[in-house]
Formats: sequence, structure tokens, C-alpha cells
Amino acid sequence: MAKKKREKKVKYIRGHGISQARLSYEIHNLKRYQNLEHYKDVFYQCGKCGTCRTVYKDAYWSCVCPSGEFGKFESYYLGGKNLLVWALTSNKLNWTKKVAKIFYQCSVCMACIEQCQIPEIHSFAGEWLMAMREEAVKLGYGPMPEQQLYTKNIMEEKNPYMEKHEDRLKWLPSHIKQTPDANLAYFVGCTSSYREKTVAIATAEILNTLNIDFRILNDEGCCGSPVYMTGQVEKAKNLAEKNINYFKNAGIENIITSCAGCYRTWKDIYPNKFGFDHGIDVKHLPEFLRSKLKNGELIFDKELKMKVTYHDPCHIGRHMGIYKAPREVLEKIPGIELIEMVRNRHNAWCCGSGGGVRSSFKEFSAFAAKERIKEAKETTAEAIVSCCPFCLNQFKNNIENNEIQAFDLSELIRKTIL
Amino acid sequence: MSNNEIISELEIVVGERYVSDQPELTYLYHYDFITAEPEGRCDIVIIPGSAEEVQEIVKIANKYKIPIVPWVTGINFGSIATPRKGGIVVDLRRLNRVLEVNEDDMYAVIEGGITWAGLQGFLEKYHPNLRAGITWSPPGTGVIPSCLCYGMFDLGMIGGSGAEFINGLEVVLGSGDLIKVGSCSLSNYWYGRQPLPDLAGLFIGWEGSTGIVTKASIKLWPKLPFREDYTGFARTVDQGFPVLLKLSKAGLGICDLLLVNFGWSQSIQELYEKNVVIDAVKDKKPDCISLITTQAYTEKQHIAQCEAIIDICNEGKMRLLSASDGVEGVKPPPVQYWNFWNFTRGGGGQWIGSYCSTRDVVKYYNISREICLKYGKPPQFYSRLMFGGHYVVARSNVNFNKNDPEDIKTTRKILQEIHEAVQKLDGVVMYKPPLWAVKYYKDKTLPSTTRLINKIKKVLDPNNIMNPGQGIGED
Repeated sequence: MAKKKREKKVKYIRGHGISQARLSYEIHNLKRYQNLEHYKDVFYQCGKCGTCRTVYKDAYWSCVCPSGEFGKFESYYLGGKNLLVWALTSNKLNWTKKVAKIFYQCSVCMACIEQCQIPEIHSFAGEWLMAMREEAVKLGYGPMPEQQLYTKNIMEEKNPYMEKHEDRLKWLPSHIKQTPDANLAYFVGCTSSYREKTVAIATAEILNTLNIDFRILNDEGCCGSPVYMTGQVEKAKNLAEKNINYFKNAGIENIITSCAGCYRTWKDIYPNKFGFDHGIDVKHLPEFLRSKLKNGELIFDKELKMKVTYHDPCHIGRHMGIYKAPREVLEKIPGIELIEMVRNRHNAWCCGSGGGVRSSFKEFSAFAAKERIKEAKETTAEAIVSCCPFCLNQFKNNIENNEIQAFDLSELIRKTIL
Repeated sequence: MSNNEIISELEIVVGERYVSDQPELTYLYHYDFITAEPEGRCDIVIIPGSAEEVQEIVKIANKYKIPIVPWVTGINFGSIATPRKGGIVVDLRRLNRVLEVNEDDMYAVIEGGITWAGLQGFLEKYHPNLRAGITWSPPGTGVIPSCLCYGMFDLGMIGGSGAEFINGLEVVLGSGDLIKVGSCSLSNYWYGRQPLPDLAGLFIGWEGSTGIVTKASIKLWPKLPFREDYTGFARTVDQGFPVLLKLSKAGLGICDLLLVNFGWSQSIQELYEKNVVIDAVKDKKPDCISLITTQAYTEKQHIAQCEAIIDICNEGKMRLLSASDGVEGVKPPPVQYWNFWNFTRGGGGQWIGSYCSTRDVVKYYNISREICLKYGKPPQFYSRLMFGGHYVVARSNVNFNKNDPEDIKTTRKILQEIHEAVQKLDGVVMYKPPLWAVKYYKDKTLPSTTRLINKIKKVLDPNNIMNPGQGIGED
């Protein structure tokens, strides 16, 4: 008889130094992606102690919460939000538009959650921050007017930029070679299609250089991330269903995307939140390129002498745990010197574009971006590099007087292989 | 006078963005969200950006005779930042700078709203050879409130209580006047409180009821190159405490010396109160877990100190593990326990936190232990030897579920029973005391002393607007 394996009694969760015989969320049997009711017994574990406001024991205890640092009042920090959720769900406080606005004035970057040392909050607060947005939508307090507007455009024109769907592929140069029957699709996403076209071009050219058989589907539409992130779950689900059906019917088995938001939505939200087990293998470009570097297919022909710093997009970093791949690729580029910002990886300061804040809270969004740009400049880097066209676009819009350059990783790679 | 009119005046001082009476913002300031004490009421919250703005706010509060409550993070186990009589909560978080570090005299001049995270971060970045004493409270809590309320730090053995770390203060009085106390009152140096009359005492231990501190100088200490952190285990507190007492008087470079009981050690490990050992003594678990930190300038000195510590502990049958042996639980500072209030997984925690004579610690523990066990709660206790062993802090924590009214009721009973019982030991005095404990001390203090306290309060806060309902002075 096989000897029963002894259960490990001490577990560690990300953060610092938490160990215990049984994780607290196991006691509560907590799961991800549930509604507020599911978490009702844990909101009040928060004592608004303020640990969520700064990097815990690292990065000189720097501030991490754009929402709190901008909003200032306690309600804008995670502790405040936790206790507002408690108050609202236990009828100590009433829902109002102003309450909803507090929850929407947050990019849901989850840097605060990384710092919290209460296991239930550390692991699940992101779920109730999103559930609060869902609740706001149900009660008619959300989304914010600008978010409603872009959602309308997404439903009609498949993009949030008020652009025509028929113009979606205007970025595509004639020299890009596609393979009509390829089972690999490059999912371009709305930002690269309409705003940061060089990311789309660079990605397609890299794939061509690597002789990858791929195609871009003509009727690709918004992945639904901006809709989901503003609590409009049913609408986002509807978009997901359409996308999945379209890609599956086209025979797509693999997707590469250069957008962090699209990646997270396809890879995590579609199957885990919406329950659509689409079976398509989704990779973010740096992950894919790292595998090509490892097997020797990606070779950098040219040197690119440049000091750069890397900005972790929230959607692939904290939300999906991808920190190494982009750095490994970046550091392999000959001539590139990577200098980290003080707040990096899971402690990275958000660029302030996600979660619907750039459309609805412009001043706050710019505040977050400028803080990150300032931090990037302090490294003495010439450029801030990211792996998300939305972050890139945010930086470009907020960089003043060419104080620093901003690139997507794909743009740098393109310079060295073509 | 409506809130709107007052707010209009306050907006002129700080700008529209930093003042509010909206419930979704004031809600977070009406209660500490940790203790079993009653909730309060916050009518207006304001976030000033300078001492001058604080002065103007106090003047407006005086004009309308509205209570005013200084606030940094608003949590402590005594609920003393809960606005008991409504009014304006002055959130000091924008006053969060380190203004100066004097490396020669080893002090930092800090603003009233700076947190432990802010101070530590600044020192780590710009003055890595210096360190501040650090509390066990979370990094988001305030430095100055901790000093003013006799908080204790991991340098307590060499520096005493937080109050003794204070070199000087800048304060906005209840009248709106701005004053300075200590050497800074007549020079640009903030090195100490001597030799003029020590007016810092007008603000220490008063729970924010005499003024709002906008700046303070606090002592810093050199980071010595050699350091060892020991964890010691003894079967009982009765057996272990005498060993610590001996160590405190042995002059072995010890900067921190404390013990926790088994219950407390379970709470800080994030365990669930319902799944833990309730009576460690009965269960034959080591009920005395001590932390001993020693530091030295030279290796030779360090080795000698460590050897002496080991000898004393061996003699007292205290088993030692050291951080350099790789003991996970013992790490260099800061050790900050973010959530020991959450032992019940219910987010509630309160204490009987007392200063007392070293003679009474063991008795204190045994009294509090019996009371906790009577109510089925795991006894949680911790004690820190202070200022070379001149006095001691003794604390009994009780955790509870904030959503369970019965648990809250039981917690109140336990706390009050412990408080009443340990008073019989005489020298036991609570710090950061909640209202019911303050009442006890008011009754106990000599009438002439009480009269003096009340006169001082009247002079500093003529309209009784400063954190009314809290502190020892008469309302």
C-alpha cells in the first residue's frame, strides 16, 4: 500500500512571511470571481491599518495606491473601500452615486492588495472591488457616463475609441504576410488597431521574421476588457461569446496578443469569470518571444544601445503573474541596459490608464501616469518600455517636452531584427 | 450653524478638495474599526497641508465651538481617535514629510502625519546608518501619535517609551496659537527637551486633548554592525520572566527584550482562534516565548555579549534559537504585526495595555490568563522591558468578531474584568486608555492633581474643543 503523502502544514502565500497550518481562506472556503455575498464574512477583517498604502518592507516603503494618493481621504484606499463594502452590505451606509464614484476612481491595479498581510484580503480583495462595480451597475449607479459612452461604441463598432469598425485594419501594411489557413491568430486589440499602430505593425513584422504562420481575423472586435472592468459583466460576457465563437469557427487554436488587457481577458476572464472554456491557447507576445529566444529562433541582429526601464502592466503583472518573460527578452537585446524602477514587479505603480479611469477620471489618470514617468526618469533611463499598448499610449500622452521616450517591447525588438 | 457654512469657511483654508461632510468619506473617520468601544460621529473631515492651515482650522472650530479631533490613521487599541462628540476630524496625512535629519545629534524632525512606513522609507533611502525605534503596530500608523501616547518601540530597552523619544514639539494649541517646546523653541536645533521647563508634558499622554502636534523631533539611533536576535522558550511565564529581568540588568547591548505567551504567538501567526490551543500551560506548550536583541560595535564585544546571554538563559532553563541559525520568526527590524487583531478572523481586537512595575508582570499575566480562560478565549499576553529594565509594559489582548454582538459583549466584560483585577497590583496604569479606564483614573488620582490637570486643560483648550470626551482632563 502506498504511503499516504503527509500534507504540508506550512504554506506561504505571496507577500512576506505569512505561514500557517491552514490558510484562512480555506477555512472560509473562499473562491475567486464570486459576488459580494460570498465574501461578506471577510470584509470586516480589515482594520484600515494602512499597510495597503505602501510597499510592504521593500522599495523604501513607497506609496503604491494611485487612487488613495490622489483621492487622499481614507475611503480611496483599500482599507477604506473594504470598510465601505462592509458598511454597504450590512446596511450601515446607503448606496449613492458618490459611493459608486469612489469605487470607480480606481484602476483596480491591485498594488494595494499585494501589500495587505491579512490572507483573506491579500488573496480576495480584488474580487470584491470588481463585485462592487457589478453591484453598482445592477443598482444603476455605474458605469460612469464616459464609460457608458465607450461601451455603446464597443457594442456598435467593436472598439471603445469612437472609431469605425471598418477602419480597424487600416494599420495593416501590405507587406505583412498572413497564412489564410493558419490556426494561430494575432489578436491585435483595439488600442494597437486604432491608437498605437506601430505596436501592431511591429508585432506582425516580428511574426513574419520568425516565419510564424498566422493570420489576423477581419472581424476581430474588442475583447471586452474595458466593459468588464467597469462592472458590466453581462455585456462583456456577450462580447466574449461572440469573440470565442468567431475565432473557434475560424479554426483558431492559438492566439498571440501584444496587449496585456486582451491577454488577461482571453486567458483568465473568459474561462474563469464567464465560464467559457474556449480551449484556445493564449500567449502574450513576450512569453512567446522568450520561448523563441530559448530555442534559438529569435536572434537579434543589431545592437540597440539604450538605457531603459521596464514598466509592469497591471494586466500581465499583478493580474497574471508575468514579470520574468518581458525582462528576459528585454535584457537579451544587445546594447540594452535595463535599470529597474524602485517600485517594480508586484510593487509597480500603475500607469493610471486601466479600469475605465482614463475616460472618466482624467485628472486622476494623468496624476498616476506622471508619477510613473517621474519614477522612470529617476532611474536615468532614456526610455520607459512596457508590454501593453494602453500603458504606452498613456505614457505618450503624459510625457512632456520629450523628458523620456516610451516604447512597447515589440517596437524595440523590431528595431533589432529587421 | 449648518455644516455648509462651516465647510465654506474651511474650504477657504484648505481648498474644496480637502474637506468634506459626505457620509461616504466621513464614515471612515467615525470609528476605529478595531476595538469593542462604541462608535463615534464624524461630522466633517478635513486634510490640512500645513501647520498654518491647522491653526486656521482650530480657530474656526473655536469660533463655532465645534469639537476637533487630530487623526493620522485612527486606529489604536484604546479607541482614542474616535470622535466622541462629533465635530471635525483633522486628518494629518498630508503633513507627512521628514523635514530634517541631524546625523550628528541623531534626530529627525518630522511632520505630524508621518507614518512608520514614511519614516522608515526615508531613513532607509537617505540615512541607512541610522534607525528609528519601530512599533509593532502596522506601518501605516502614525509616528507622532505613538510617541505622544507612550507607544513602545523595538528600542525600548535603550530609549524607553515613545514619549522618551521626543526631543521637541511644534504644537497648535486649542486656542489656535502655535508654540514650540524643547531646544527648538530658542534655536534651530531639535536635540532635546532640556534645559528649559519641559513643556512637552503638556501634550504627552493627553490623547490629543490639549493641541495638535504639527512637528516633532524624535531620537534616532545608530545601526550597529553586529546584531543577534534570539528567540527564547521557557515552559511558563513564571519561569521565563526572571531570566529576562536578569538579562535587563546585565548590560549586554540588549536593545529589545520582551516576552509573549503562547496565545499571542498564535495570533501573530495568522492562525484562526477557533483552531488553536486555548490553554497552553495545560497543553504543555512553551507558554513563554521571548525575543532578545543584542547589538555591538565590534565583533569581540558582540561575541562576549552573546555568550553572556546564552549563559544566563541556560542557567534559567530558557532554550534559545538565534536568527543567524535561520529561525524564520526572528528577523531584523522592523517587525510589524499588521493583523494580530484578526485572530478571530473577525477583525476585532482590544487590549488592556499597561505600564507597571517589573515586580508585577507575572502576577498580571496569571490574573489575565485566568479571566480569558474563564470566557473560553485563548489568553494573549505580551510584556516588554523598558529603559534598561526600569519599568515594564504588560498587555493582554482580546480578539473578537466585529459582526458578532455577543462576542463584542464578552470582550468588553473580559477587558473590564482584567482591568479591575490588575489594579489590585497597584502600579498598573493603562496607556491609550478608553473612556471607562480614564474614568477610573480620574477617580483615583489625588484631587489636587486632578485640579491641576483640569486647569492646564482649560488654559490650553479654553473652549474644550480638543478631542472632547477623551483624555484625562475635564470636559
